Amino acid sequence: MTPVLSQFRTEIRQFFLVSLLNLVFAAIAIAIGVQYMVTAILSQTIDPFIPGFPMIPGLRIFTGAIAMICFGLGIRWILSTVRIFEGIVTIKDDLEKASDTITDERLTCLIVRMLAHYRDNRKTIRTMILVCTLGGGCFFVLGIANSLKVLSISSGGFAFTLDNLLLIPAMLLTLGIALASLLSSYYFSKFAKVWDRRLHEIDASECALKKTLGLDEQ
Amino acid sequence: MSGRRTVYEIYWEILVYCKSPRSFTGIINRCDLNSKTGQEYLEFLVAKGYLSLVTEGEKTRYHATPAAAEYIGLFSSLYQKLFDATPEFKL
Repeated sequence: MTPVLSQFRTEIRQFFLVSLLNLVFAAIAIAIGVQYMVTAILSQTIDPFIPGFPMIPGLRIFTGAIAMICFGLGIRWILSTVRIFEGIVTIKDDLEKASDTITDERLTCLIVRMLAHYRDNRKTIRTMILVCTLGGGCFFVLGIANSLKVLSISSGGFAFTLDNLLLIPAMLLTLGIALASLLSSYYFSKFAKVWDRRLHEIDASECALKKTLGLDEQ
Repeated sequence: MSGRRTVYEIYWEILVYCKSPRSFTGIINRCDLNSKTGQEYLEFLVAKGYLSLVTEGEKTRYHATPAAAEYIGLFSSLYQKLFDATPEFKL
């Protein structure tokens, strides 16, 4: 196996993994967004005299709003990932089908396809970096807001009480998603940096191709 | 192949595909081109001597000339060099 093939194959496999994880976490993000929205709505309508039920109307509205943003970001996240994922899957499958003795032309063809796919999705990847970072932040806030039992703000400061039973599972899940989305953002930006540099290299090497085709004389 | 490609990538794709004689329809289908731009690309490559026209009965086919090998080789080496020149993407 040539070093180029080995490197290209590894990169595609790893980016495939990042995209797959993104799909899974985007789906979980949507589900949790819906769950928090429903919880926020139900706690607004429930009888306030039921003992033990967390009842902070302002906070619930805030949680509901953040959950709605998370839900929207989750949908945007999943739609963007699907577009990137589909292209990567077809390239990865073709690369897996090709044996280690792949011809130069076939390998170049797959590289060109990957470049075309990257050019097509460059904007989407940039959006993904932003959406994942925003999503991470929102889920972090959501995790904290949803585990608050009492919150009082006065001119002298603020005091809050956390519900331990709600805190642990909710915090773990939302922190997990926040971490996953921040990691996704990091890997997407890393991937974009590498492929942007390759596009730049191609622009620079186009002079040689132009010369071969005799276009520089025109 | 579809997606956003540079003109040099399209030339390379046409030349590689035409290593054996190909019809106009075959080329535009394979390279995902419309007939107008496909015609322009083919005319350019024929004018530069990278493609020759082969007539088989009533059919005219395009065939890559030995001169095309230089372009194909240079293109492949430039694109594969991308993986030497730039740092790789790693998890």
